Amino acid sequence: MIMEDFKYIGKSVPRIDAADKASGKIKYMSDLNFPGMLFGKILRAKYPHALIKKIDTSQAKALPGVVAVVTWEDVPGLNGFGIVTPDQPVLCKDKVRYIGDAVAAIAAETKELAEKALTLIDVEYEPLPVVDDPIKAIQSDSPKVHDDGNIHLHTKVVRGDVRKAFEEADLVIEHIYCTGEQEHAFLEIETGIARIEEDDILTIYAGSQYPQRDQMQLSRCLALNPCKIRVVSYPVGGAFGGKDELTIQPILGLLVLKTKRPVKMVMTREESVISYWKRHPMIMKYKTGVKKDGTLVANKVIIYADTGAYASLGGPVVNLAIEHACGPYKLSNVDIEGYCIYTNNGVSGAFRGFGVPETAFAIETQMDIIAEKLGINPIELRKKNALQKGDIAPVGNKLTTSVGTVAVLDGISKTKLWKEREKYLVKNTKKPWIKRGFGFALTYQGTGLGVGLPDYGGAILRFCENGGFEVGVGLVDYGQGIGTSYAQIAAEMMKCPIDKIKVVLGDTALTADSGPTSASRGLYLGGKATIIAAEKMMTVLKEKTSEMLKVSVDNLDAENGYICMKNQPEKKISYEEIAAQFMKETDHLPETEGYFLMPLADMKVENAFGLPHHIFAFSAHLALVEVNTLTGQTKVLKGAEVIDAGDVINRQGLEAQSEGGFVMGMGYGLFENMIIEKGIFKTTNFSTYIIPSAEDIPSDIETVTVTDPEETGPYRAKGVAETVMCATAPAITNAIYNAVGLRIFKLPATSELVYTLLEKKEEKCNESTN
Amino acid sequence: MVQTMDISFALNGKEYKLSVPANAVLLDIIRDKMHLTGTKEGCGRGECGACTILFNGRSVNACLILAPQADGAEIVTVEGADVERKLLSIQKAFVEEGAIQCGFCTPGMIMSSLYLLNKNPNPSISEIREGISGNLCRCTGYVKIIKAVERASKDIGK
Ligand code: FES
Ligand code: FES
Repeated sequence: MIMEDFKYIGKSVPRIDAADKASGKIKYMSDLNFPGMLFGKILRAKYPHALIKKIDTSQAKALPGVVAVVTWEDVPGLNGFGIVTPDQPVLCKDKVRYIGDAVAAIAAETKELAEKALTLIDVEYEPLPVVDDPIKAIQSDSPKVHDDGNIHLHTKVVRGDVRKAFEEADLVIEHIYCTGEQEHAFLEIETGIARIEEDDILTIYAGSQYPQRDQMQLSRCLALNPCKIRVVSYPVGGAFGGKDELTIQPILGLLVLKTKRPVKMVMTREESVISYWKRHPMIMKYKTGVKKDGTLVANKVIIYADTGAYASLGGPVVNLAIEHACGPYKLSNVDIEGYCIYTNNGVSGAFRGFGVPETAFAIETQMDIIAEKLGINPIELRKKNALQKGDIAPVGNKLTTSVGTVAVLDGISKTKLWKEREKYLVKNTKKPWIKRGFGFALTYQGTGLGVGLPDYGGAILRFCENGGFEVGVGLVDYGQGIGTSYAQIAAEMMKCPIDKIKVVLGDTALTADSGPTSASRGLYLGGKATIIAAEKMMTVLKEKTSEMLKVSVDNLDAENGYICMKNQPEKKISYEEIAAQFMKETDHLPETEGYFLMPLADMKVENAFGLPHHIFAFSAHLALVEVNTLTGQTKVLKGAEVIDAGDVINRQGLEAQSEGGFVMGMGYGLFENMIIEKGIFKTTNFSTYIIPSAEDIPSDIETVTVTDPEETGPYRAKGVAETVMCATAPAITNAIYNAVGLRIFKLPATSELVYTLLEKKEEKCNESTN
Repeated sequence: MVQTMDISFALNGKEYKLSVPANAVLLDIIRDKMHLTGTKEGCGRGECGACTILFNGRSVNACLILAPQADGAEIVTVEGADVERKLLSIQKAFVEEGAIQCGFCTPGMIMSSLYLLNKNPNPSISEIREGISGNLCRCTGYVKIIKAVERASKDIGK
């Protein structure tokens, strides 16, 4: 297949929703208002850990203008939600486990009244000791967040003989790594509106990543037949994993059912921060053994992940961290274990990378240390150990799909940053306290949900009267660009102009269930399903044309919106005419559906839910930094990513992911960290929780693609939404080492941290010279 | 009870008279009363720039302005291409450069870009960065946004 043969695939096609976004016309869920709507508000916990003794809502109920006050007693179905384990109450009954726990909710005529009513709810608590240290939390004498203990999940994967391998190693490197709690900080806060629509359907408009699963979870909580619930979740102003789990939807639904009126619920940024998901902070103990020649022989890892008060996706995050803990390297002696631990520190859940940015920081620092100690070029060291197609991955699965490790490492030399790094690294003689350094790191990320989970894509293709097509996929475009990719794919497959394709996303009434928009799976699975639906549609069109032209289907071809005769291309019928024919005959236009099952690995890792994955995307991240040794501040001057995305569907979209991922990874590496003290959040807004602004970014972020086509993928593509952010932080910390000789074992590498470490280093120097 | 006040202002070139609660925030008036939802709320406290509008020619965060302050003001939002023709070029540049992902920061970004280009038709890269530094974007990494502003400045200059 040569990419040049395509009209849309592989091209930089502008986003199909961009014009409406630029003009302000597009309506996000937070932009919707319905006549007669009420305003909802949630009463959050007063303590991070406490027993609820009494909830008295009588005063709030008596306030004129308050239409409903609900507590746990009003939840008609299961008072619990959670993607894997539904252990989070919709409204708490007898205990609160974090400061964002929902205790009661109000629907009132105005926002102000709803806020006022919140203050009138009287909750009597008995505070409990706060569990805020994950390591202490797993000790037997720790107070318990949940009755059956604070270990939500413990996974251990062992292969080979680690003890023997360490004995045979020439060098063993041991370090403890800590990573911070990152906030998604999507610009659109969790907000939604809901009402009862025609046929008594409870319709929830709220940004999310998987409307069909929301529908299922809501049906459980609200004791309502799922076919009586419709969830609309596109467009979304950013998600990054933070809208994978339910947020406000169950309470919104409850208030609508109770009041029979539309209800709108708008969070404040502060409420969003304390109430919803974050990246797991992790403590990771690494011990890596290597031979003198650089061959990795053993890796022992223990991961402690703070999942906060409820499970959500904490278990799968820890398991993915375990799977990726060794990086994309050959290792046959491994002992990797992970604990997913309940505490009262907010809630952690899905976040772009899903455990991989954490372990990538650890393993890529280990690799950098090893390269230096052994005097081996760090690229060569990685290449020597690189996983390749046919190899057995550390957790035991054979890699039979595309593996871009070496291609990505080779691609480093193609970047401008690599070629010119010597020039950039010249000493600043005018400001000798400013030091420059270069670093890089390698990573990879599994696509899809892994073994043992239903993992499929679904698409509906509807033929339209104008001769165009409507693609309906349940996945949600919250910025990645999958909607545009589906349009490209559908236009390419149906041989019609892209402006004849309409894409509908994330709506339980109009789209096929395609699984969650997560795990870098959207392009791959939604794309494949679209291809299948399109193939069927092409057959339908050709069959109708064969009737109309009275020729055999085999003699027909499609071309630019027409079905034509193969050897007489001037004999043709336009899609519009075919549509008219259908309408004339049946008063109805055909629709087709495509479903695609994710290919799986040939084995299952015992006792490790979801492992292994089967398809992986790879990337190398490069950074040129400048460290101010007087302040400890690090500035990233230049960045680059070398990405193996298989064959690229949309060049512009890929670059956008790469640049956005790099900058998000930079924030993670240098300054983003949610500070929680004794279960109380200290950084609840953008002046205390700092995300990168336009003035913080490097002057250049290059994107170089190397292609290791994935034969199973849509037009041989793979998804890269996560890998693009996973190794930016270690590239930066490796660059800091290169600049000032400081190893960073803790993220983020804030000015304070670097400054303190520099001071210590100086003290040590002074001590040894004295 | 909160007092109401009568105010009048020009919004995207049209005059409006309105009675508003004295403590109402201009952003809410624009979104909920005037039904112009292009202007977004991302923080409600002047930290994200999603609510950026032109207010008497200056770029401001609409979440930090009380509605009574808007009495007599000239306001332009992202929907105001009729009065600010440059908006069209900037919007086009954002689309073509791929500067939009989730799009939630986009209206604010575009309004900050408009203000910048109004006062400085040929900004340098560092001036562009400074000009949009009050607008947070979590998706794009800003690279393509900066390019879009550069491109818009060229297109407008033509
Ligand atoms: S909403 Fe006004 S600055 Fe964020
Ligand atoms: S495009 Fe999503 S926040 Fe900027």
